[in-house]
Amino acid sequence: MSTTAWMITLQFAGVNALFALAIYASLWTGVLSLAPVFFGAVSAFTFGYVAGTLGLSPFLGLLLGAALGAGLGALTAGLLIRLDSHYLAMATIAMVLIGRVLILNLPEYTGGATGTLVPGDLGTWAWLIGTLVVAAYVMARLAGSRFGLAADAVREDPAVAETLAISPRRIQFIGMIISGALGGVAGILQSSFLQYIGPDTFYTHLGFVTLAAVVLGGAFHWLGPIVGAIVFTILPELLREPMGEYDRVVTGVLLVLIIIYMPRGLVDVRRLRMVRSRWWRPKGGGAEPDGPDPRDPQPTVRAEVAS
Amino acid sequence: MTGLAVDIVGLTKAFGGLTAVDDVTIQVPPRRIHGILGPNGAGKTTVLNMVSGFIQADSGRIDVFGQDVTRMQPFQIARRGVARTYQNIRLFPGLTVLETVVAGAYMQRSSTIAGAILMSPTERRERREMRERAAELLEKVGCRAPHSALAETLSYGDQRRVEIARALATNPKVLLLDEPTAGMNDVESEEVGRLLVELRELGLTLILIEHNMRLVEEFCETVSVMNSGALLAEGAPTWCLEQDEVKEAYFGKRSDAARIATLRRARRGPGGS
Repeated sequence: MSTTAWMITLQFAGVNALFALAIYASLWTGVLSLAPVFFGAVSAFTFGYVAGTLGLSPFLGLLLGAALGAGLGALTAGLLIRLDSHYLAMATIAMVLIGRVLILNLPEYTGGATGTLVPGDLGTWAWLIGTLVVAAYVMARLAGSRFGLAADAVREDPAVAETLAISPRRIQFIGMIISGALGGVAGILQSSFLQYIGPDTFYTHLGFVTLAAVVLGGAFHWLGPIVGAIVFTILPELLREPMGEYDRVVTGVLLVLIIIYMPRGLVDVRRLRMVRSRWWRPKGGGAEPDGPDPRDPQPTVRAEVAS
Repeated sequence: MTGLAVDIVGLTKAFGGLTAVDDVTIQVPPRRIHGILGPNGAGKTTVLNMVSGFIQADSGRIDVFGQDVTRMQPFQIARRGVARTYQNIRLFPGLTVLETVVAGAYMQRSSTIAGAILMSPTERRERREMRERAAELLEKVGCRAPHSALAETLSYGDQRRVEIARALATNPKVLLLDEPTAGMNDVESEEVGRLLVELRELGLTLILIEHNMRLVEEFCETVSVMNSGALLAEGAPTWCLEQDEVKEAYFGKRSDAARIATLRRARRGPGGS
């Protein structure tokens, strides 16, 4: 591949990473949602329209995307969060489908079937990396926070989370808002790189690719979606030259292998922690890392710990 | 205001045609260790599930410190000071011991999303305090495992202890324990018993389902015995366990024993031996 082709591939990997983070944000709270693609579409077309008619500074454009996405996220959550998991997922897929119909039927604003032009001011490496770093920083900060632990609890066992005074609906609501903001920003960047967007730019394909990136990269840590998006955007491009037509077969097989052997994705903190605790476990009746407990009276207890 | 910690009156729950809990009344004053006994399928866990809001009662009423919680959502009941543990341990996969306990302290924290993102001084202080408090609680329940270990990889006994610590992190007034010593040896069960007394001294009201009779007699002040959804007896544990009805529920009827022996003999008859 030429350098330019590489650059373009990497840029799309970055934008996909943002979309993947948006999907991760709601999945973190136990909500499988493809709605970020819809949020991205709305903010991208709004950005295109506003920037085309009024003019808009790049930074304001990003803010607009985030605010619009967050607002739509809140609205979506308000309407849909009461649905059960897979019905909710289906409703968000329906949103993506409805988005395309809206784009086709509002030609004054969206350009209809021909699409519309978007200024490319934001389509630079600096903006992309900057946004990605901010997004990753936010997710990393939230990971150990009050919200983060509550989100983990709600995802793993909402019933138990409730008995810890956590309201799952509230946590999922917040998750959808974060997801919306990230989706909105991703949409703005996507359109800025493409500079031309049409009804198929933000469609099911984008949703499924980024969802695959989250699942395969790891849906249990913020790094997972980023790694997943980069690997699964670059890999098909890398395989295209040596494999020709068969690159999709190889990616497909790889996906299946990862799902079988690494069901929690490439970035799997749980497995890391398991490996670590196995290392720490004393081999021959030694003390625990926390030091032997003087109150521990019986070797029977030790035996149970070791088993 | 009745002055009771937990006031369960006329509680009934049917699953299809089966009445799992039938007109059960259990009244527990504050700072009491109360046991719920009964053979398997007696409806003990169903009662606990209704108190914590997992299941809606068909009829009857549950008050916690004078407040009607019968129709409340589980998280609202939890916010009124009711915490619980589970018969089949339910820890969060992927979380460490320390994280599990800190997750339980959700309502004890005031940090916001913005504070967490900006890592404000308040947020830092709160995180440190939460870790310290979680470590204290783990120490209190006697969990000897390293705090950075995955909670789900611990021994059975330690998993139960982590679960109790997680429940205590919500700073409850009432703690519901569903078979807290299941799978523990005598030494460990004794430790749990002492922990119960210690928690009672701190002002908690404890309601536990327990099969270990020695533990019940030693640590429970009052018990309610259930069988097939209905209340058989209540009062001091030693007295309750002496009641004929209770003995029957646990060990079967004398007449049944005789009949079973006859049946066995009859079946053996033609085949010999």
